[in-house]
Amino acid sequence: MNTDTKVMSAEAAVSSLISDGDCLAIGGFVTNRRPYALVREIIRQKKRNLYIEGGPSGGDIDMLIGAGCVSTIIVSYIANSGYTQVCRRFREAVEQGAIQYDDYSLDVQTIVYHGAALGLSYVPVKNMLGSDLVNLWGISEADRKKHPKLPDKKFVIQEDPFNPGSQLCLVPTPKIDVALIHAQLASPDGTFRISGAQFQDLDIAIAANKTIVSCEELVSDEELRRQPELNSCTGLCVDAVVPASYGAHPSQCFNYYDYDSRFFIDYDNASRTQEAFDRFIAEYVDACPTHADYLNKLGAARLLKLRIQPGYGYTPGLKRK
Amino acid sequence: MEYTKNQMMAVTLSRQIEDGKAYIVGTGLPLVGATLAKNTHAPNAHLIFETALFEGNPQEVPTSVSDLRINYQASVLWPQYRYFGFQSIYAKRGLIACGFLGGAQIDPYGNLNSTSIGDYFHPQTRFTGSGGANGIATYCDTIIIMKHEKRRFIEKVDYITSYGWGRGPGDRARVGLDPKRGPRAVVTELGLMRFGEDCRMYLAEYFPGVSPKQIQENTGFELDLSRAVEARPPEAEVLDILIHKVDPLRLMI
Repeated sequence: MNTDTKVMSAEAAVSSLISDGDCLAIGGFVTNRRPYALVREIIRQKKRNLYIEGGPSGGDIDMLIGAGCVSTIIVSYIANSGYTQVCRRFREAVEQGAIQYDDYSLDVQTIVYHGAALGLSYVPVKNMLGSDLVNLWGISEADRKKHPKLPDKKFVIQEDPFNPGSQLCLVPTPKIDVALIHAQLASPDGTFRISGAQFQDLDIAIAANKTIVSCEELVSDEELRRQPELNSCTGLCVDAVVPASYGAHPSQCFNYYDYDSRFFIDYDNASRTQEAFDRFIAEYVDACPTHADYLNKLGAARLLKLRIQPGYGYTPGLKRK
Repeated sequence: MEYTKNQMMAVTLSRQIEDGKAYIVGTGLPLVGATLAKNTHAPNAHLIFETALFEGNPQEVPTSVSDLRINYQASVLWPQYRYFGFQSIYAKRGLIACGFLGGAQIDPYGNLNSTSIGDYFHPQTRFTGSGGANGIATYCDTIIIMKHEKRRFIEKVDYITSYGWGRGPGDRARVGLDPKRGPRAVVTELGLMRFGEDCRMYLAEYFPGVSPKQIQENTGFELDLSRAVEARPPEAEVLDILIHKVDPLRLMI
């Protein structure tokens, strides 16, 4: 039986596995199962110069941008949908030229993450043809060459060798340094089980050089191996397991809890200005040195109200406005 | 009978949905319209979300395409890349009737901007970017939801996030896209536009209380008004289902 353990605190995982300048990919989708506990730890440790592979980004990435952790983002979408239609720290950073950015479509980001997980160097797609996603490069070839992690070209358009006359857009797969995932269950050897929609999580976990998984519940290796057919990923792809119940708060977590609308509304207001954002981070990140402190700040009653109702899979009648 | 502009839009969107067909739905009003259709004339319509959550039957309005509310009675929760494969294959086979898109700017040929206003490199206003929109516009027929304002309906958009008909017939094939797919309708708070043989937008329906002239005044390019008819108001029972069942919290309407 395996006696190694990858279980560690968020503090240890982030300090030992994430370096300034790394390329990060973050699991979940916009307001669902985003690894917020890990993201708060990155802000706490003041990581800098990160290059974010955005995919379906949420307020978590907006927090990283507002906290000054990010210098480059490859983006296709970033919102707390229903609450903030365009994340505000992202928006200001782009409008003020404070961040390097380039755009793909979400399809393309998803497909290249899958390509990266298949070990491919590029993926040919039809997407983006004709649009300004190909006509305009947010980051020029010259600037890409200067960047230590970005591919030199955003894409190459080429004729399909098997269907002459048909154009294809060849998109390079990113080299992800660290993937951050929040799963429902994980065990000490790193095996994890996501229930509900998987989004891109498995692809970024496999493709990344290092993967940190936070989990609602830490269970034994034996427990997860009773039903391997339900597991999402082998621990061979995982470097750290961080127990963090409610670790996706304020986003949703299938089978566990709904989103915290009040928090999203508060964040929408706080992220309108850098000053208010800084106060928000001081209150929810700096003044809560551990995840337990964060949960205590929110309070048990507030968290319990978010518990999903089995049979529905969400919290019916939840106050959402 | 009283109803709001958003309610009329939701009803109009709902009317575009046929029973038994599959639709790609995003957040906001399209979700409301699609849910309304499923609760009225199209109980067998299939709703597909770019998150790869298939055929859900949301009982409460979801706020995003990843909302757990979409999972209710869904057929499958695929990893997301499966959706994109499904979209490219099954749109070609004609199984996907259309996808719904929104944007900040649109031109007469249905090219859509959801990326930024002004210079892309130094934008005056930055939006989320494509999301799944570009892919839907690449492979599928689309219905577009817009706010009807002169500054949004313009001759040339600042950034083409989602390719429509280009600048006219033949352009989709020229850039490498399926020439048989493209924008089919635009729904606003004032009316319903469609696209002619020349690929240009024309006014098909104006909502009760709105005149075609008023629509032209709110459009930054010339709109053919000659084919326009007045839309029928929402049926009382449809409005009742919309308000009391589909979105009782008034999140979107």
